[in-house]
Amino acid sequence: MRARGRASIEAELLDWMRERPWREDDARFDRLALELFAFQYDHCEPYRGLCRSRGRTPDRVASWREIPAVPSGAFKEIPLRCFPADRTRAVFRTSGTSGQRRGELHLDTLDLYEASLLPPLQQLLFPDLAHAPRPPTIRVLAASPEEAPDSSLSHMFGVLLDRIGSARSGYDVVGQELRVGGLMAAIQEARHNGESVALCGTAFAFVHLLEILEASGEALCCPEGSRIMETGGFKGRSRVMPRGELYEALSTRTGVPESRIVNQYGMTELGSQFYDSILVDPTGPRRKLGPPWTRVRLIEPESGRDVSATAAGSVVIHDLANTGSVAAIETADLGRRVPSSGGQPDGFEILGREPGAEARGCSIAMDAMLGTGR
Amino acid sequence: MSDLTIHWPDEDLAELEAARGRLEAARGCLLERSDEELLEPLCRVLDLWRDPASRWRRELLDQHPAHTGFTRPVVSRGLELGLGQWGGRELRELWEREIASQIGGETDMLSPFGLTSVLLAGSIPMPTLLQCLLPLILRSPVLVRSTSRDPVTAPLVARSLAEVDPELGRCIETVSFPSDDRPCLGRFLSAECVVASGSDETLAEVSSHVGAGQRFVGYGHRLSIAVIGPLATRGEALARVAAALALDIALWDQLGCLSPVSVFVVEDEPGAPVARLGDALAAALSDCEQELPRGEVDLATAAAIRRECAEAEMRAASGRRVAVHGGPRARFSVICEDDGVWRPAPLHRFVRIHPVASEGELLAALRPVARWLAAVAQAGFGDSGEGSRPLPQLARSLARLGASRVCKPGALQSPPLGWRHDGLPVLLPLARFSDLEAG
Repeated sequence: MRARGRASIEAELLDWMRERPWREDDARFDRLALELFAFQYDHCEPYRGLCRSRGRTPDRVASWREIPAVPSGAFKEIPLRCFPADRTRAVFRTSGTSGQRRGELHLDTLDLYEASLLPPLQQLLFPDLAHAPRPPTIRVLAASPEEAPDSSLSHMFGVLLDRIGSARSGYDVVGQELRVGGLMAAIQEARHNGESVALCGTAFAFVHLLEILEASGEALCCPEGSRIMETGGFKGRSRVMPRGELYEALSTRTGVPESRIVNQYGMTELGSQFYDSILVDPTGPRRKLGPPWTRVRLIEPESGRDVSATAAGSVVIHDLANTGSVAAIETADLGRRVPSSGGQPDGFEILGREPGAEARGCSIAMDAMLGTGR
Repeated sequence: MSDLTIHWPDEDLAELEAARGRLEAARGCLLERSDEELLEPLCRVLDLWRDPASRWRRELLDQHPAHTGFTRPVVSRGLELGLGQWGGRELRELWEREIASQIGGETDMLSPFGLTSVLLAGSIPMPTLLQCLLPLILRSPVLVRSTSRDPVTAPLVARSLAEVDPELGRCIETVSFPSDDRPCLGRFLSAECVVASGSDETLAEVSSHVGAGQRFVGYGHRLSIAVIGPLATRGEALARVAAALALDIALWDQLGCLSPVSVFVVEDEPGAPVARLGDALAAALSDCEQELPRGEVDLATAAAIRRECAEAEMRAASGRRVAVHGGPRARFSVICEDDGVWRPAPLHRFVRIHPVASEGELLAALRPVARWLAAVAQAGFGDSGEGSRPLPQLARSLARLGASRVCKPGALQSPPLGWRHDGLPVLLPLARFSDLEAG
């Protein structure tokens, strides 16, 4: 296949991202995925090497499902970009403590990156925004993009605040300190102005918030119509809280019902994100949904083949928004397809580690030892 | 109509209390017997376990694989090697060396703990066997909590002791309760002496329950490695060392603390020795799969193996001198790296081979993992041409780094009974002594 230019692919993708309502278009996805694969094969040398070693070159790949996926961990050691290094405009890094290798996503433009993150936020986290009398107050339990310029999460929150949030929106983590006083004042003001509140942050930040609220005996009392978006896990953290417990406690302390708490699944290495279906399909099973320019495969680790039906497997994501790096990424997560009914789209869920799983031996898995458990 | 909730008594706690009561009642025999009357039956039990034809070995072999996921050939060979040097004679020598030499006069004596609680971990039988029996030599009754991974070994050990010496057999009790049963755990950990095995997190959790007046002996998770010198990366020695390393890796599916997770090759020419050893080790592990098939792995492990192989493949694709042998479908993985960087190792017969240019570079590469280092298999440095004699200087450097055992490849899974696990004596940490000064 002759590689199509990246600008032309991006132009078509931008059109797709602007479309309302979303249209699942398998033929368009397949064509764009193959064209993007041919482009990335030509322009990303390490990726080309991987494809060749697996015998999956553009002339031998007939469907997006056959496109080789790069393991997400490779972003820690290899710059995966389809442009010269000197054209790098932004580098987002995965979280990690000092001394640990951190994955890096190199971008030469933020246009498509930002265009891809907004529609899922609007469709899946703020599906009621069009009918709301006022924009929501968005309070972010994370550092601002100015404080954390290499955090893709902070960047996403920055875009969210700019495009959707009311004037009372802002960041409640400053200098690594969670400022609950400011958060409570902003919520009170939002209530006074008839605005709903969206609390956004990492799961661990919410645990920290709960600890502060529990210690002080206070609650946030978010107005009706408010929502919470939590993302990330407890990687590298000493305290772990099961998601069910976290949601119950959050609901108690913020007044936001569990049915309006949305988990976001995203990765630094991806341009697009996935969100719980709970706000767009409140009666269906809670599952992750993403925009139509993404596809999710669940594969058997040993064979690499798609799992059958709802069996668990490794999560592989094809995100066409990743034009400047690699679109097909094999994540470190396990997941399972979640079917739906009533014409609603199917989704998937991310599976945590088996609780209480005991080690079979007395050796230590190196990821535990290195503190890079994923 | 209101809901009716019925609270059943905590059966596990009741059973734990009953077991403690039985041990208290049985304890007298431990205090009354002479040293020889204690040692002799325990030595006989160990001799029984060393005998592959004994009823206990056969029962363990019949039951263990189904519970633990290891294949029968792996359990059989693992027991054969692991128990090969553990007999009555060795136990007696250990007693003499660590305890008898400390006491015996009129001015000192063993002051046995009223109870030793042993919290087992993992599913490799040898540590279980030893941890069940050792407190008895020191005249302390033993309360053992089995793991759900291996509910068979500890009860079999207790039964074997009861058969040899019914009175002594009443001094060991095995219990099981869920790890989140706080009342049971608290009562279990209230013994005068607590022995626990497990991850760093488990040991931290257990130690937080143990008071200052109690003895706590913790055995954390550890890892082992191999260090191969130039003499073992070519010719006949190469195949011999590769076969020996493959055995060390294959036994217990690389899940024991004596299983090597990484092999460091001190290279005399860049790249070639690692590549040769990688080829040979992959061939040897492939052969091992026929004789000692690996057990099945869970989804998370399979995914981790796939991921690490793919990441190595990616490094190779980016032009680095990295090679992947085996992989997710092959049931073993050998990754030839081009640096000494530690990367995740999913175990289950997944091994990395790293090049180092010198002993200094080797020690620098090992420093990040020194606190977890258990044993090092070493070959290829000797002047005998056999490649199996540890080089004293390097062995001493490895010991100074924290390794508690340096041996030859193929011997990792057969430590002597007196091996100072975690650098500690075997019996002494479980013993309490009293000095009797003239009044």
